[in-house]
Amino acid sequence: MALDAYAAGSDEALLILYGNGDPSAAQILTARLAPRVLGYASRLLGGDRAEAEDVTQEAMLRLWKQAPNWRQGEAKVTTWLYKVVSNLCTDRLRKRRSVDIDAIEEPADEAPSVVDGMMQRDRAEALQDALMQLPERQRIAVSLRHLEGASNPEIADVLEISVEAVESLTARGKRALAAALAGRREELGYGEDR
Amino acid sequence: MAKTDKDILDDAKLDTELEAFFEAGCAASPVPSDALMAAIVEDAQTHQPTSQTVAAPAQRRSFWREFLSQIGGWPSVAGMATATIAGVWIGFADPVQLETWSGGVVLSGNYDGAETIYSTEDLAPSYFGTSLIIEEEG
Repeated sequence: MALDAYAAGSDEALLILYGNGDPSAAQILTARLAPRVLGYASRLLGGDRAEAEDVTQEAMLRLWKQAPNWRQGEAKVTTWLYKVVSNLCTDRLRKRRSVDIDAIEEPADEAPSVVDGMMQRDRAEALQDALMQLPERQRIAVSLRHLEGASNPEIADVLEISVEAVESLTARGKRALAAALAGRREELGYGEDR
Repeated sequence: MAKTDKDILDDAKLDTELEAFFEAGCAASPVPSDALMAAIVEDAQTHQPTSQTVAAPAQRRSFWREFLSQIGGWPSVAGMATATIAGVWIGFADPVQLETWSGGVVLSGNYDGAETIYSTEDLAPSYFGTSLIIEEEG
């Protein structure tokens, strides 16, 4: 099968092809899913790139191992991955809290990013700082909804709660974010946009 | 709980306030390094199931092997062989002892006489039911 045909396939179809021994499916799935997983992990981990890469590799490894037992139609591949990443990041954040928090250096983002201009970058950093002030589940809900573009039912699957609870969690998260960012809006040139 | 108009307005206001930050956050997504992508693909190759492990073809077994496994293997064959030999021996040897055990029924072929040796109650005590016993005791 040509790679173009693979590119048109759903994540689930590619995962099943991979599970059946197809050698090309993994490359397409990696190209498609790894950036999303890395972005999400990075947000949950406060922008720590090295740790986010570890989580990404681990989450993808779990996906490969799960492939032969994948139950078709039960969950979206991305939802399954978001759940795994959320759990891995939660574990790491707990461990991090138990270590001396001052001993952790501010992560240096050496990777190329597509942020256009200083102001955008500053806003992204301010958002990241504010996200890290949120309770864990609010951070997960807001990140998935507004940064990963996941639907409320998907988030409900990830957090194993009802859709109504997701709506409430997201609303509280956004209020807390707005409060945390309120003092920085002028500083970040927010007024110029309007 | 249903959302009120005020909740909906608040949500819309919050979304407007945060929109620029979310846009900046989306644009700031890290790009995976080539090394990470290569490591993930390598993991995938290492853990990829081969088509053999996915669908191992069922092995065809011969008729006699299948028959043997259905009847319970070689021990069952030994049991059946013993029973066959015993049957043939009884048929040819006409053993008197067996006649004694059976009360003269098996070898003589005198099945009518069996009733005089064994009554129905001897062979099946519950045949007449409990009502008779109650009546007797009664």
